[in-house]
Amino acid sequence: MSESTTGATAASGALRGAIGETLLEVRDLQKHFPLTQGVLFKRTVGHVRAVDGVNLTMHRGETVGLVGESGCGKSTVSKLLVALEKPTAGSILYKGRDVAKMGGRALKEYRREVQIIFQDPYASLNPRMTVGDIVAEGWSVHADVAPKKGRLQRTQELLDRVGLNPDYVNRYPHQFSGGQRQRIGIARALALRPEIIVCDEPVSALDVSVQAQVVNLLEDLQDEFGLSYLFIAHDLSVVRHISDRVAVMYLGSIVEEGTDEQVYTAPSHPYTQALLSSVPLHEPHLRGQKDRILLQGDVPSPADPPSGCRFRTRCWKAQDICAQEAPALVDRGQGHPSACHFAEARTVVPVDVE
Amino acid sequence: MTRPDLSQPRAAAPGTGGTVLEVDDLHVEFRTRSGVVNAVNGVSYRLAERETLAILGESGSGKSVSAQAIMGILDTPPAVITGGGIWFEGRDLLQQSEEEQRKVRGPGISMIFQDALSSLNPVYSVGYQIGEMFRAHRGMSKKDAKKRAVELMDRVRIPGAGARVNDYPHQFSGGMRQRVMIAMAIALDPRVLIADEPTTALDVTVQAQVMDLLKDLQRETGMGLILITHDLGVVNEVADNVAVMYAGRIVERGTVDDVFANPAHPYTDGLMSSVPQVEAKGGRLLPIAGQPPNLAAIPSGCPFHPRCSRRRLGAAATPGRECATDLPPLRLVVPGREAACHYSEEVLGV
Repeated sequence: MSESTTGATAASGALRGAIGETLLEVRDLQKHFPLTQGVLFKRTVGHVRAVDGVNLTMHRGETVGLVGESGCGKSTVSKLLVALEKPTAGSILYKGRDVAKMGGRALKEYRREVQIIFQDPYASLNPRMTVGDIVAEGWSVHADVAPKKGRLQRTQELLDRVGLNPDYVNRYPHQFSGGQRQRIGIARALALRPEIIVCDEPVSALDVSVQAQVVNLLEDLQDEFGLSYLFIAHDLSVVRHISDRVAVMYLGSIVEEGTDEQVYTAPSHPYTQALLSSVPLHEPHLRGQKDRILLQGDVPSPADPPSGCRFRTRCWKAQDICAQEAPALVDRGQGHPSACHFAEARTVVPVDVE
Repeated sequence: MTRPDLSQPRAAAPGTGGTVLEVDDLHVEFRTRSGVVNAVNGVSYRLAERETLAILGESGSGKSVSAQAIMGILDTPPAVITGGGIWFEGRDLLQQSEEEQRKVRGPGISMIFQDALSSLNPVYSVGYQIGEMFRAHRGMSKKDAKKRAVELMDRVRIPGAGARVNDYPHQFSGGMRQRVMIAMAIALDPRVLIADEPTTALDVTVQAQVMDLLKDLQRETGMGLILITHDLGVVNEVADNVAVMYAGRIVERGTVDDVFANPAHPYTDGLMSSVPQVEAKGGRLLPIAGQPPNLAAIPSGCPFHPRCSRRRLGAAATPGRECATDLPPLRLVVPGREAACHYSEEVLGV
C-alpha cells in the first residue's frame, strides 16, 4: 500500500512541483460523542461514532480534499485537527509529534501553525469587532509573530494581500459582502503564518461568481506561502479543481483515497462511484452518457452503524463477507487504496475530450 | 424538446396545448425604510406544457421574487408589484381579486421550496398536511383525504407510505421531506409546478433522486416546470430552456444546448468559466470581477457593465450602445436566442 500511494503522491507532486515532506499524519482517528439520557443523573446510553478510524497524510504545499455528504464526520475531523476537540482514540502526528501529548508551549505553537477557515462568513466573524481587530486578534496570544509596533501596517498588508481595501481596517463585518467576509477570515488565518489551513467548506455559502475568486485566492496564497490545505467540501467539482489528493468519507471513515485523477476517473469504491455519478455535468454533449447509479435508502445513523462495511446496507455488491468483516483501506490492485472487498475501477464521469 | 413558439397567442385556454403560463413585463419593488429595492425589472417569459424552463441566477438576481409574484406569496408590503401581467388560463391573475386568484392558483399552479423542513408544519402529521389539499379544494372527508395522501406518498416513492402517513415531518430525512412537499404540490394535478432551488439543501445523491422524481412526474402529467436554481449542472441535466437573470432582468434566453455551448451574454459566459467541472480538473478558474449589484442602486446603463470585461465606454462604444448609459434591451441575436447585450454578436463570435 505505502509504496503505491507514495508513488502516486510523488507523481501528482511533480505536476504542482511544490510538495515536500510529511507535515501531518492522522492515524486511526476516532471521535465518539456520548448519547445521554436523564436530566439529573445523566446516563450514557450509547455513542455517536462521528469519526471512526480516519487515516490521512498531508505533505507540505499539498491540498488534500475531503469529500462526503452531510453527517459523514468531515467537520468533526476538522475540529479534531485544529485541537478544538480531543480524539477518543487514535493520534494526530504533526511533524512527528503526537498532538495529544503536546503540552503548554508546544500545543500553543501547534495551534498557531494549524489555522482554520469556516463555512459561514456571517457567523465566524465577531460583529462587534472591527476588521482590523479581527485580523490582529491572534497576535494578542502569539505576540512573537508580529512586533507590537508594526501591527496596523501588517494588518493592512494582509487585507491588501487577500484583495480587500487596506483603508477598510476600521470597518465592521456587516459592511462587507459574503465573499469579502470570507477574505477577512482568510486574512485572520494568514496573520499567524500557519503551515496548514483547514478549510471547512470555505466557498459553499458563496455565489458561484464569487466562489471562483476565493478559490483562486486560496491557490495564489498556497504558492506564495507554501501552505498546505485540508479542503473539506461536499462539492465534488470544487474539490477536484483544488486538490492534489482526495479522500472520500462515508459514515465516519474514509472509503477511498488517491490523487484527484485516480479518484475521479477510476473510482473503485461503490460509494465513490455512486457519489460521482450523481453530480450533474455541465456539458450538454455529455448529457445522458453518464452511468447513473441511484442509491437506495438513507445513510444509517452513526449511533448504530452497520456491522462490517458501513456502506453495505446501500451497496449493490454486498455479500456475506461485507457484514462480517470491515474492509481495510488498502490498495486492491487499482493503484490507490479503497475500503471495499470487491473494489473494481469503473468510469462513471465521462471524460471531456474537448 | 419544446421551445416556446414566440408567434403563438398568449396563454391559451386549458387543454389546447402550447403555452400554459405567461409572465409579461413583470416589475416588483420592495419599499423599505432605507429606500426602494428594485428586485424585478421587466421580466417576461412563457412556459409551455411539458416544458422545463430553468431560471438561472445568483442570489439577488430576482429569480425567486418573480416566482413568488406568480404564486401571490410576496409579502406586501414591503413588496409591490408595480407593473406587468401574469397570464394563466387566458386570464391575467394580477387583474383578479384575491379570492379569484386563489381559486385558480390552488389547483393550477403550485410551488416547492428549498427548505422543506420550514415549509412543513411540525405539529401536523404529513398525511394530514397532504390531505389538506383535498379537503380544502375538493371538499373531501378526512378519511378519503388520508387515503389519497397515502396514494400520493406512494407516487413520490416514499417507502412504506401506508405506515408513514401518520408520521411527523421531523421523522423524515431531508430527501423524504422534499418528497412530501412534492406530493402536496402535485396533489391537484397542477399545470405548472414552480420548484425554487428544490435540491440545494440536499446531498448530491439525494439531489439526483429528487430531480429524477420531478422529471418522471412531469412525463406522467405533462405539467410545465419552472426550475429556479443557481446550479449550472442541474440546469444542463434537467431543463429544456434556460433564462439567465441578473439584477432583476433576463439577460439571456435560449435552449440549454445552445446557451451552454455558446453563451451570448458576457455574464452567462462569465458564470460558465468561473465554475469548476467534475469532468475535468481544468486550469485556473476565471471569476467574474467584483460583486453582484446592490438592487437599491443598480448601475446605470447595462447593470452588468461594472463587472464586464467586454464593456465599451465613451468613444469606444458604437453610438447609442454605450454600456454605462444605454440599457441594452433583450433582443433576438440569432434564431432561438435572445440576449440583453449591445455586443452579443461579438460574444457569440457570429
